[in-house]
Amino acid sequence: MALLRGKGLGLELVFAGRELGEAFEELEARLAERPGFYRGTSALVNFGNDPPSSDVIVRLQSLLNEAGIELRALTGASEIESLARECGLAYEPGAVHAAPELARRRALRPRGDIRLSESARSLVADFAGARADIADRRRRGEASVPQLELTEQPEPPAPERPRATPLHVVEAPPPTLYHTGTLRGGQTLHHPGNVVVVGDVNPGAEIVASGDVLVFGRLAGVAHAGAQGDETARVFALQLNPTQLRIATFIAADGENAPRVRSLPEAALVRDGGIAIVPFDQIDQLEERGIS
Amino acid sequence: MLDPVILSAQPEQNTKSMGESAPERAKPLGRAIVVTSGKGGVGKTTTTANLGTALAQRGASVALVDADVGLRNLDIVLGLESRVKHHLLDVLENRATLDEALVADKHSEKLFLLAAAQSREKDDVDTEKMKALILALRERFDYVLIDCPAGIELGFKNAVAGAEEAIVVCTPEVSAVRDVDRVVGLLGNRFRPQLVINRLRPLLVKKGKMLSVDDVNAILRLPLLGVIADEPEIIVTTNKGEPLALRKDAPTGAAYHAIAARVAGEDVPAPMPVTKESFFDKLGALFGGKKA
Amino acid sequence: MSSRKIVITSGKGGVGKTTTTANLGAALAKRGKHVILIDADIGLRNLDLVLGLEKRIVFDLVEVAEGRCQLRQALIKDKRFESLSILPAAQTREKDAINEEQFASIVERAAEAADYVLIDCPAGIETGFRNAVAGASEAIVVTTPEVSAIRDADRVVGKLNDRGKPIRLIVNRLRQEMVRSGDMLSVEDVCEILAVELVGIVPDDEEVIDTTNRGEPIVLDENSRLRPIYDKIVRRLEGEIVPFTNFDQPGFFGRLIDALKAG
Repeated sequence: MALLRGKGLGLELVFAGRELGEAFEELEARLAERPGFYRGTSALVNFGNDPPSSDVIVRLQSLLNEAGIELRALTGASEIESLARECGLAYEPGAVHAAPELARRRALRPRGDIRLSESARSLVADFAGARADIADRRRRGEASVPQLELTEQPEPPAPERPRATPLHVVEAPPPTLYHTGTLRGGQTLHHPGNVVVVGDVNPGAEIVASGDVLVFGRLAGVAHAGAQGDETARVFALQLNPTQLRIATFIAADGENAPRVRSLPEAALVRDGGIAIVPFDQIDQLEERGIS
Repeated sequence: MLDPVILSAQPEQNTKSMGESAPERAKPLGRAIVVTSGKGGVGKTTTTANLGTALAQRGASVALVDADVGLRNLDIVLGLESRVKHHLLDVLENRATLDEALVADKHSEKLFLLAAAQSREKDDVDTEKMKALILALRERFDYVLIDCPAGIELGFKNAVAGAEEAIVVCTPEVSAVRDVDRVVGLLGNRFRPQLVINRLRPLLVKKGKMLSVDDVNAILRLPLLGVIADEPEIIVTTNKGEPLALRKDAPTGAAYHAIAARVAGEDVPAPMPVTKESFFDKLGALFGGKKA
Repeated sequence: MSSRKIVITSGKGGVGKTTTTANLGAALAKRGKHVILIDADIGLRNLDLVLGLEKRIVFDLVEVAEGRCQLRQALIKDKRFESLSILPAAQTREKDAINEEQFASIVERAAEAADYVLIDCPAGIETGFRNAVAGASEAIVVTTPEVSAIRDADRVVGKLNDRGKPIRLIVNRLRQEMVRSGDMLSVEDVCEILAVELVGIVPDDEEVIDTTNRGEPIVLDENSRLRPIYDKIVRRLEGEIVPFTNFDQPGFFGRLIDALKAG
């Protein structure tokens, strides 16, 4: 379903069933390709069953205002009504779109009570480019752990999104962030893309990346790779000795006792529904052999 | 700006241009070093007092500033509490001149103390005025050592405000190392922090019950000024107000002198405590019981 | 039964607040109480380390305050005890990330789920201290028998008195031989100066450093001489009258001399 379409005397923006970051991307692109075309119209925004937070509305309003479009009303399921009121907008009860999309998304939601912290979730809005990067890697057949036959948790493979957007969204993958120097306790690096630290990551320091995390030194803090949900992301370190490791929605920590002495560079990746650590020279073998 | 009457040198009144040097500015500015750690109780105040004493005993002019407003202790450690007539805030708020507030040390000629206020709050310190005060002190003294309060709040920020260098004090304990690492991260490269490890007990390190110097510096990675052993003597002298650095020939006093020499840029080896078993340890081993 | 919300504070850093909080919490849990420990030292968190729980931190105090997660998601249950959980502080934030009302509200919520809420207060008397105290209805002041520590404790007692919270005192790291030689203040001296109800005397013990490094509260060690001490403190907190251990017995050296004299 198209994002932007005419409805009555104005526009309807269909955000329902879409990933927020992507929807914004596409909207910006569409507005940019015909500046001034929509000036003077009003827009109704459809959020389907999922009311977003009010700062999404603020952001939307400012984007629309720039293009001369007035955000008139919100529509969608009844939960949207209070949001509309909160933002001083009208509410129009409407048909709910994208139910199958929602069901799919619900099925993909992580089980268990471990959830991503807001700092990871907040990266979602910036990750449109990161998705392109990941999809790109998949296309090139690079750096991905082969899908395993998981009998206990039948997870439908994430469908490649229909590329309705490629006409307008040509976004370069975000640059990898390089940081030289030791990351000390209390310092954080949050980045959409890969993160490379040339130095140590001390206990108390935190890296959150949508892509991979590579530490050319000792990783002793917390690293979160694939923070946006990419389970193929990995964490590498010359000395992998983290307080805690997170990949996508998996979290793992060493057993209670004294940390193992690491003499080899190692990589952490998702395997068998958890995080596994392998000496980095064995990653190739994993991929060759398939499941081990 | 501070009233011209109060400070000995006032930047605004210096009508000479940048290139010329006025007679009173012929000697370079003294070094302003903040002694900090993040963690409380590791020995910042003791280190400040002893290092200041050792530097003064070597012939330098030294001003010690207690920045722990509300919880002042530097005066006690130096045995000067009864001589304090005016404190830091009196000077910052123009109720006293620096000359009136600086207290001459009992033991070392050329060592002076500017005490903190006991019944005020750290919020009362104006950062800009603090910087000006430290600058004024640097114009009069070879060294200005600032005793920093524990924590990383406003008190810490004010203490650091006027300094150009930092000495970081850490004990060989996991919590201390974490906190110190945080502070080093906050200080950044500008202060060129150097490390003093305090309260090491070589015997416990040998038994594996305490972190070693290497363990500590594996995380902190700072240039090491020296290591001071834990001694009951330190508590005694602190209570009595006689810094150990006055006893140049005793091991701890000598260690502080070595540290002072290194601070002054001399190529003297970093003092390390010697692992010698005390009479009691040997006796304890004989009788198979714990030391009393 | 109303639960007790106790802040453990000192003014001076490094006198043993965190160790005391951890061990008191453990001792209370061993007696069957439901205990929640809250680390209020944002930016310099250590309570998790001292209990060896740092690897299990997913959410922290600030995230609870900001509503990003629920309190129960942030609580880490210590598996060594029936009923001991901790709410860790945030490491990458600063003390002003939370205000007194938010903190007090979290303490209230914790109190609904526990018999005892112990709050580990940061050093100093700044924002962190004010926040930590805001949530509590009582205080335990920890000091060592040294002049600087007592001076700071006195300042803190003054501030707590202003807020009308009942205060009790723990004298930590006592070295009796130094008291005898006059190099350390006696417990009586300390109580005299601070004029606060004494609830515990804890002797100095070199094992404490090692156990805190390893993340094992010392009360887990059956052979530790500190375990009965913390038990006594807990009993006093519960209202029992328990006589204080007399540390004025001749120490090892004293006994040796006596043994030699006895022939």
